[in-house]
Amino acid sequence: MSIAIHDLVKTYGRFTAVNGVSLDVRPGEIHGFLGPNGAGKTTTLRMIAGLLKPSSGRIEVNGHDTGTEPEAAKASLGFIPDRPYIYEKLTAGEFLRFHGGLFGVNGHGGHSDNPIGARVSEMLDLFELGRWENELVESFSHGMKQRLVMSAAFLHRPRAVVVDEPMVGLDPRGARLIKDVFRKMSERGVAILMSTHTLEVAEEMCDRISIILKGRIIATGTVDEVKAMTGGSDVELTSVFLKLTGGSGLQEIDEIV
Amino acid sequence: MLPPQSPALQVPFSFLLLPGLWASRNRARRRQRGDLMRGVMFGGVGLLVGAALFQGAYWLTSQLESYEDLGDYLLRLGLSWLFLSFLSFLAFSGVVTALSTFFLSEDLRVLLTAPLPVRRLFHARFVRTVAQASWMVVIFLAPVLMGIGRARCAGVGFYVSAVMTTVPFAVIPVAAGTLVTLALVNTFPARRARDILMLMGLLFAASLVILLRFIRPEQLMKVESLPDLTDFFATLQSPVTPVLPSFWAGEALFASLRGGADWLHLAALWSTALAAIVVVRMANERWYFTGYSRAQEAPKARFTQLRHVEAFTRRLPLSPVRRQLLIKDLKIFLRDVGQWSQLLLLMALVLVYLYNFRVLDLDRVPYMTAVVKNLYAFVNLGMAGFVMATVAVRFVFPAVSSEGAAFWIIRTSPLSLRDFLWSKFWAGLVPVLALTEMLTVVGNHFLGVDPFVKVVAAFAIVFMSFALVGLAIGLGARYPRFDTDPTQVAGSYGGVAFMIQAVLLVMVMIALVGWPASIYLFQRVRHLPLTTAQYLLMAGCFVSVAAVSVATWLLSMRSGVRALQQMGE
Repeated sequence: MSIAIHDLVKTYGRFTAVNGVSLDVRPGEIHGFLGPNGAGKTTTLRMIAGLLKPSSGRIEVNGHDTGTEPEAAKASLGFIPDRPYIYEKLTAGEFLRFHGGLFGVNGHGGHSDNPIGARVSEMLDLFELGRWENELVESFSHGMKQRLVMSAAFLHRPRAVVVDEPMVGLDPRGARLIKDVFRKMSERGVAILMSTHTLEVAEEMCDRISIILKGRIIATGTVDEVKAMTGGSDVELTSVFLKLTGGSGLQEIDEIV
Repeated sequence: MLPPQSPALQVPFSFLLLPGLWASRNRARRRQRGDLMRGVMFGGVGLLVGAALFQGAYWLTSQLESYEDLGDYLLRLGLSWLFLSFLSFLAFSGVVTALSTFFLSEDLRVLLTAPLPVRRLFHARFVRTVAQASWMVVIFLAPVLMGIGRARCAGVGFYVSAVMTTVPFAVIPVAAGTLVTLALVNTFPARRARDILMLMGLLFAASLVILLRFIRPEQLMKVESLPDLTDFFATLQSPVTPVLPSFWAGEALFASLRGGADWLHLAALWSTALAAIVVVRMANERWYFTGYSRAQEAPKARFTQLRHVEAFTRRLPLSPVRRQLLIKDLKIFLRDVGQWSQLLLLMALVLVYLYNFRVLDLDRVPYMTAVVKNLYAFVNLGMAGFVMATVAVRFVFPAVSSEGAAFWIIRTSPLSLRDFLWSKFWAGLVPVLALTEMLTVVGNHFLGVDPFVKVVAAFAIVFMSFALVGLAIGLGARYPRFDTDPTQVAGSYGGVAFMIQAVLLVMVMIALVGWPASIYLFQRVRHLPLTTAQYLLMAGCFVSVAAVSVATWLLSMRSGVRALQQMGE
């Protein structure tokens, strides 16, 4: 497994944000992680990325336990957060070179055949940022920053990538580009675990999905398998999602309006 | 039928001040760790400064009273000078504050999309600008004027007059500053204008410090230069011209101090203040939106590539990861005017500091010259320690905080947090050590101290640097402020805690170094050899210096690493 989570729990005082989550993402699989706001998606992803320490449970990334071998686990993982905070006073090229340096992509650490400069240009071109290589990040739009973070996440050729809300702030062209990149990466064996609110994206891209509610996984499988869980009468994933996560609230909206 | 008037159009401009007031109230209500300590420290220092200003003004005014007409003349001149110095400060402060309140403030996005008349928004913003730009002057002025009033046994009229004078006096330069900002923003993009202003301000401050020092005010204290005093006062009068508001304020206050009222100058102050508001309001109605709109544009930023930084780091014996961290930190620092421009002021202070030792004429002390010189070497060491603490709290303590919201990049990388923190330590140590070692060595050279004391001081600085930089990095990692501008982090709870511990450490170090060195020096002056016990005592003290430094350094770093590792828990 590229990403394997076993009985993951995260508590904040008395509040349990993630409650016994177990999940597997196979090499080459795009796995959608769905759930309403506050269900525990981002907390789970942040634990996999090494930003939060689990209260209990175990996470393995490409065979490395994140608790006991955090550096080895992180070296083979790419992380794309929901908000692209990066160093505003660096240029796009400098940021990628720095990021590469952190992951050993600089003629050392097993990448000696791939000098950093060439790899940086390759990634910037892939994410259509080539002509912005020497511009400061502070002059970038949100979408450009998001694409820059993604190029950094794929720079060191990770075998697994964790993505939190990839489509936020992207224009249709940017969204199409990201979908194509994710597909190509998965064809090359990269495992992608992706949280999203955009159910059309999940339906279109994901090999399997997991739905999380109040910190627990309530459904896992292919989109068709999850649809079948609600009786199979719903054609759209949105209706299935609303049924599984507790109603649409449309009646209340009518009353208020 | 006419549509009902929008409720936003009916709200008074004071309504727009409420969010700021509510935010201040909420900040005051919210209790944070260290609030009490910070309050006691800053409040205590503030009270002390206020009391010193009051006492100083009281004493000076009382002294001047014994010179009758000359005393009155000097007091009148002094008041005009006091207000003149505030005038330029208020104008500059007005420019900088208006840039933030009128053009860069985040809440403008909300206010400008509301159906508000431009004039109402202007009134609200202008009140805020005047308050933010002038509060420091008011706080400084209050104890000074109270001291003067007390010394002259002034009645209530003087204090009423002080308020009536200060309000329009603050409004006029701030209005002028706001007008300058409006012109600047319509010429340059606001973000570039801020950089230019910040740099101008610091160059202004640095040149002022150097100028004041090189005038050599200590010459005034020499008896032989007394005849020059008349010339000195003659030059004082020239800049205080009757067309400036500072002159009107000085005259109005001086008249009320003598129990009268100078209605002419008070009227000049108020009418000019009101006219200034009207002029700025008109200009604002005409050019504000164009300026604000320009401030939102994100043109291609101009910056330097700083290729020499990469070339420089390639020469250093660093691992690739540490080299990349150093390149990143240096480039971010050098491209942020707010960060590096403070170095200019620091450099100016260092020059003044060394110049002081250069002009210190200790040979005038008829006997014990050598002892006094060596005593000054320890004063120099103490000063270097305090300079080190100040530099460390401003530039080294925020090292972790400066990663800001982008710290996730480090935390999700395979770089261990231990390596990260140690990399920050070495990057902080080298410049701090170089600066303070230079201060100590050059200072002691100018003084001409004993070679033994020179060597002891040089070694003490090395140990102190490791301890203080380690303490700053460690505490900076324990109390990071990722949401705060790095230039503001020094004032946080952790920053204050660092300063207290740093000052204590410097004092302990001076005692541990100074004591054995003084034994050595006194024995030398008396031409006596050192006893074995004295040798042992000296060795014990020096070993203690090393032990205290190394313990502070390593324990601080260890606790910093642990704090970073516990961050995700």
